[in-house]
Amino acid sequence: MTPEEEWGTQLLKHLTSTGIALAEARELAGDALAEAAAAGIDPRAMYGPAVAYASTVAQAVRSATATAAPLSRTRGPVVLRLHGVSKRYRRRRVLKNVHLSLRAGEVAAIVGANGSGKSTLLNICAGLTRATSGVVERTARVGYAPQQDGVAPLLTPEEHFRLFGAVHRMGRKKAAAIGTGLASRLGWRPREGVVVAHLSGGTQQKLNVVLSELNRPELILLDEPYQGFDQGSYVDFWDQVFRWRDGGAGILVVTHMLHDLDRVDHVLELQPVEEP
Amino acid sequence: MLLTVASTSLRELARRRVALLFVFLLPCVFYWARIDVSWQAVRFLAIGVGWAVATLSLFSHVGARRLDQRLSVIGASPTALFFGRQLALLGIGVIMAGVYFVLVAATQDGLARLPAVFLLLLTTVLISAPLGALVSLVITRELEGALALLSIMALQLLVDPDGSAAKLLPLWSTRELSAYAIQTPAADSLPSGLFHFALTLTLCVAIAWFASALRLRPVSLSPIRPDTPH
Repeated sequence: MTPEEEWGTQLLKHLTSTGIALAEARELAGDALAEAAAAGIDPRAMYGPAVAYASTVAQAVRSATATAAPLSRTRGPVVLRLHGVSKRYRRRRVLKNVHLSLRAGEVAAIVGANGSGKSTLLNICAGLTRATSGVVERTARVGYAPQQDGVAPLLTPEEHFRLFGAVHRMGRKKAAAIGTGLASRLGWRPREGVVVAHLSGGTQQKLNVVLSELNRPELILLDEPYQGFDQGSYVDFWDQVFRWRDGGAGILVVTHMLHDLDRVDHVLELQPVEEP
Repeated sequence: MLLTVASTSLRELARRRVALLFVFLLPCVFYWARIDVSWQAVRFLAIGVGWAVATLSLFSHVGARRLDQRLSVIGASPTALFFGRQLALLGIGVIMAGVYFVLVAATQDGLARLPAVFLLLLTTVLISAPLGALVSLVITRELEGALALLSIMALQLLVDPDGSAAKLLPLWSTRELSAYAIQTPAADSLPSGLFHFALTLTLCVAIAWFASALRLRPVSLSPIRPDTPH
């Protein structure tokens, strides 16, 4: 095998591992090799390492898919409403008088310094923590991705799909097919038989995100689920958030990344509550 | 849902190979330490099986807590989650009881009622799985829970079995059933052992199930009301 063919094989392998279908990956790799041959340049010199080029191509393919036929964006009914929500742990007040109304087809970001109660608020919306006062109204069909411990280290991604799918009465094949499809949108193809503990931190978080969407919920609650993502995965994640939004879901996301806030519909900035 | 939880829990437990090895070794060590005195060997073996299964149950339930919370948020039944994990633990426990019954049958000649040995191992497993879950719900950290189980099992071995306080311990029935299996003529301990087993099993399962459902059940949130005036 010549070095050019070796590079092409590597490119094909990396493209498929990012979730691109084999036929499309073959076509892309063939095009890349043909262009390099036409220019009379070694593909390694023209495109750089196969793994890096595969990542760039995969990103471009997914972005093109995401923007090729954007759904017309419509705002639906309210899926989450917070009115005067406060939380106190013994003498320490964490949240004070929080208001929010989130509709289907909208994205809301919760921002704030460490200790400002972002995760507590998300847990209140998920039903894991009881608000000390105030009213929380929420749709029943909800997806939830916690910041950590949202997956089981000794189960494979497919077993996760089956387990989470069973909650929504999905058959194992359907759950696996949906999970694998959603994973490919984040640039990841789950490999059979590999348990979560053997995946990178970023890939574990991708699984965390995929599981939150398995049942096409009306409201998705995300607690900084992109920790460990590389730049490409981070872009994919936000593309996915806006795809969910365009598909009619309401999304509430805890984030530290302030440069994405101009794209969201609501920004809820929490301040650490100062006690008198 | 119940069977899916059970099968995934079983796979999860099966992948903790070193932990499983020690779970299987613990009763063996107890048994061989007393192999020369058959009634003690059988009793120690049963306590070892109980301790191993209860510890496995404790770690399984503590380790799954965050995942189970997440599943219950999206609509999983806390009852299915609890009994699914218990079913997986009982599967491993029953295999263990079978293996050790064969070991006893192969190494002990003078036992009065050999089938009763399987009965006492089985009842011990049936109590220990929910007992471990119960401890995990009261003491939510692994180390502290393991130490609590150590205290219970140490008491079980050391306390005078004829004292009234011994009946308050969860595996008192194991001692009664081991007396029935070993003694000639038969001790009249079968009915009292089975009664204690049934009572302890009912209490352990009911309390652990209730506590688990209470812990996992999400806060009840109001449905969306159209244009709610506040």
